[in-house]
Amino acid sequence: MNQAKRYFIIGLSVLAMGALRLPFEQRVTKQLYDEGLLAPKLKVRTGEKIGQTFYAVSLGGLRTLVATFMNLRAYGFFEEQKWAEVAETYDFIVDLAPHTRYYWDTGSWHQAYNAASYYLYGTTDLSSHRRKQAWRDFIVGGRDFLEDGIRNNPRDPALYERLGYLLADPNKIAAFGDYSAAFEDSYDAYMGAVRLDMVRNKYAKRAALYSLARVPGREKESLELAMEIRAEQKILPPTMLGLLYTLRYYKDPEQSVMGLVDSVFPSRQGAYEVLGNQWLRTRDRFPVHGVAKAITLLELEMGIPTENSLLIQELPPPMNPDDFFFKQR
Amino acid sequence: MHAFTQLVRMKVFYFLAFFAVILIASNFFNLPQHQGPESTGTHVLSSIKSWSLGAMTLFSVVLSIVATALLLPKDVEDRTLYTILAKPVPRLDYLAGKLLGVLLLVFVSLLLMDMLMTGILYLRTNLLLSQQLGIAAARGWPAAETLALKTEILAQGPTLSLQGAVFAIFLQAAIIASIALLISTFSSSTLFTTIICFLIFFCGHFQADARAAYLSQEVGMADGWFSRLVTLLVALVLPDFQIFNVIDAVIEGQVMPLFIAGKLALIGLFYVVFYIFASWVAFAKKEF
Repeated sequence: MNQAKRYFIIGLSVLAMGALRLPFEQRVTKQLYDEGLLAPKLKVRTGEKIGQTFYAVSLGGLRTLVATFMNLRAYGFFEEQKWAEVAETYDFIVDLAPHTRYYWDTGSWHQAYNAASYYLYGTTDLSSHRRKQAWRDFIVGGRDFLEDGIRNNPRDPALYERLGYLLADPNKIAAFGDYSAAFEDSYDAYMGAVRLDMVRNKYAKRAALYSLARVPGREKESLELAMEIRAEQKILPPTMLGLLYTLRYYKDPEQSVMGLVDSVFPSRQGAYEVLGNQWLRTRDRFPVHGVAKAITLLELEMGIPTENSLLIQELPPPMNPDDFFFKQR
Repeated sequence: MHAFTQLVRMKVFYFLAFFAVILIASNFFNLPQHQGPESTGTHVLSSIKSWSLGAMTLFSVVLSIVATALLLPKDVEDRTLYTILAKPVPRLDYLAGKLLGVLLLVFVSLLLMDMLMTGILYLRTNLLLSQQLGIAAARGWPAAETLALKTEILAQGPTLSLQGAVFAIFLQAAIIASIALLISTFSSSTLFTTIICFLIFFCGHFQADARAAYLSQEVGMADGWFSRLVTLLVALVLPDFQIFNVIDAVIEGQVMPLFIAGKLALIGLFYVVFYIFASWVAFAKKEF
């Protein structure tokens, strides 16, 4: 057999070997995706992205190292306040290291908090409308980024918790348009964390209640959750007690207000402080069913004159982004 | 063994000093990044892992390609090949011996690097653990939270999965070395073998995409039979290197089950055995 024939046989056997291994490798690859051991398929959107994809795929074994350097680059963009570049760099970073919570968390934080604040406080020459648009876009971008993070890491409770926090943040919620829907989504996100992590359970469960209680029409479920938390947790923070009062009042407005106050709060002085605070916290949009009634009765009992009543104090308006974008400050 | 000592004499182990410097430096890289109050400081552990495994990947691939590409031409140049072939040594044994020498070298290098990495990672993990547990105790954290903290930190330390990732690097290196052996049987230049091998290694990371495209018929009708033929050829001819990218997931703290390591080993063995035989077919009657 001459050498050319030998090379021909080698060529043929390479093809035959390829056909033999092809289905096996395909099965193993699928298994690796299922086990979370291979990074999910990269999202190719633009020409630049195709370039990035090309490098990302070929960086086998070096992807996390490159992600570290890209993170450094993103930090530089952050310092220079180049927000679009920050967002784009984090898109690439999470393509390289999709299971590192830090990158999802930081990428979202840069967009929803740092970039949004940059446009909110007007450190730019853009017109008011464009600033408002950029503010909104970056907050929504931060949310989308976290949701992507959760899709890639469905077992990471911290990411659910971050999303829950962002969606109920009084300074950001206006960007999501529908307040009720945002609080509802925040509740769902916090409950995701509760289901996954017994350690974070206490805080996340209370935070879930704080979000659900702000969804009109879901008072009954909120009360059930509040009662569940009360039965489980020894120490209840003031917000929790205030909600317990207002949700129980909502269920039965005919009941004795002072009787309800006594059954929820350890003292009437404490009840006055907590409910007074809840009345004034308009930014947080907590329900105030029966709060004014309780304050009136408590002030009467404590001998607080009407002119000093909390109820006649001017209430601070909830956060309205237009105050930042369209009013002279 | 001769191939191994031959390569050792080329002072290839000097790079270990360089690796040690990288490893020690990775302990002190304080790259500017935001660490929230919830941070447990595990980023330093990830940094040690990504620097070390990154360096191991680079070293092992370069070493495998260059060392294998050098062996046959060097034997021809030194005329030792004629002496060996004049003896009743089967050519298959000669080729297998050469490849095993390279693989032994890569294995020993990876073992030393792995020992260094695991040692440093172990020390840093324990240091971090005692720091964080001290803070937790001072703050009076409940036992469940302290345990969760401990688990989170230990997941980033030296684990069995990390050893699995080093094994995946070795398999990757073994495959590319066996390809280099095949190419060097018909190539007359070391440089040609080296360049082709690096290209194959690079393109091999896209074989899985070509295969998936062919199998799922992602290629549109407009592309027609030609595109399907190209994806099929790429899938059949190139080895799949993307399958070994589990290394990245392990650095991020993912667990690598033993059966995955087994399957990867099977794939690696399949490639190596096939390429040795293909090299033998090319080399068996070659005239020098």
